[in-house]
Amino acid sequence: MSHLTDQHGHSTYLIELSNVNKTYNGSTDQVALSDITLKIPAGQFTAIMGASGSGKSTLLNLIAGLDRPTKGEVWVDGIRVNALGEAALARYRRKRLGFVFQFFNLLNQLSVLDNILLPAQLAGLQSKVAHQRARQLLDQLGITDKARVYPGQLSGGQRQRVAIARALINQPSVLLADEPTGALDSRSGDAVMELLAQINEKGQTIVLVTHDARLAAAYATRIISLRDGRIVDDSILQAPQHQAPSDLLHLHSEEAV
Amino acid sequence: MSLKFGILGLLAETPLHGYEVKTRFESILGHTWEVNIGQVYSTLQRLERDNWVEAVGERGDRGKQAYQLTAQGRQALDHWLSEPEAEPQQLHDELFIKLMLMRRLANGNLEGLIARQRRVYLQHLRNLAELERHARAENRPDLLLLIKGAVIHTEADIKWLDVCLEELTSLQPYHPDSEHQEEKP
Repeated sequence: MSHLTDQHGHSTYLIELSNVNKTYNGSTDQVALSDITLKIPAGQFTAIMGASGSGKSTLLNLIAGLDRPTKGEVWVDGIRVNALGEAALARYRRKRLGFVFQFFNLLNQLSVLDNILLPAQLAGLQSKVAHQRARQLLDQLGITDKARVYPGQLSGGQRQRVAIARALINQPSVLLADEPTGALDSRSGDAVMELLAQINEKGQTIVLVTHDARLAAAYATRIISLRDGRIVDDSILQAPQHQAPSDLLHLHSEEAV
Repeated sequence: MSLKFGILGLLAETPLHGYEVKTRFESILGHTWEVNIGQVYSTLQRLERDNWVEAVGERGDRGKQAYQLTAQGRQALDHWLSEPEAEPQQLHDELFIKLMLMRRLANGNLEGLIARQRRVYLQHLRNLAELERHARAENRPDLLLLIKGAVIHTEADIKWLDVCLEELTSLQPYHPDSEHQEEKP
């Protein structure tokens, strides 16, 4: 197995999957992923797209250490994730990863601030540092005034902002977002994606799973398309240049002169 | 058709000469289309011949002639505005022919072609998103509506590619003998 390393023996990629297969055992073996090789450098905003059943959630779960490959290796931030025991996996998830889900998964009996602080407490972060970071994140995500409010009083878009702040409190190597706009209306979805893009611009590596081509193309920089457990396309999108409307739109008229 | 009724619609507001029609119509179109001035003049002449517009006032500078709507023109415009559009859907014929030929020539392997096409559409969505940001910043609801339309069409194009791939790969591999039976003498 060739694992790319620099002169210090570290991977030159933040996330690296080599020849990964995932099969679920049943009466007949179900192939969820087949021969996935994928390298993601630090700082990239990657979207994984595909229909349901294409394997995109399985791929995210392998990176997250929530599932193990049947074959192949998963490296994240210099850690061989597929080889970790349960305790080490829990530590890995707590310290290196941030999660954002479709349905926010906030604790309704805790205030916004306490929701954001919870992962920091679990990771044993000093309370003063945690509070500082939480304040900063509340500010960055535009929800400073919601710190003492409970999730039940917030809109979907606001809840997702809280979830993003919670995901970032431990300064993860990778932010994993599974359909973060799936439960939001189009306007809130755009706002959440805009925030993710801003966070990415400051250097945060993000891996997003989505079925929304428009949002993926508008905000992510790389789009990986899966089909039947295989990568069928891997595109780095070019930065949009400001074009004249006539370069992008045509109102054609079949004019009879 | 749209230029003809575009002219009628603009003249329904106020009498205009040909060049004013051109610039106002381009503005309505969000500057997505450069209107041919010659076409404006020839359309105005036809409309005058059909008695839908009439010349108003004297010819001005450099022979400029203003036109106004006639009662008959107004009726035609109102009828057109009230009618829903019933033209058939325009699809991408060139891509479709490529897909059909690739199916014959590439032994059913269409993933490469479809992946390359999807890339083009994704980049298109990215560029449209940027254009949308500018249209919002410049407070241009007219342009915004056109951009939204282009985005939705592009999303549909991507879905169509997925459907093409699903349908074509679930078929038996293409055999020249299995079709065209009716062509044989």
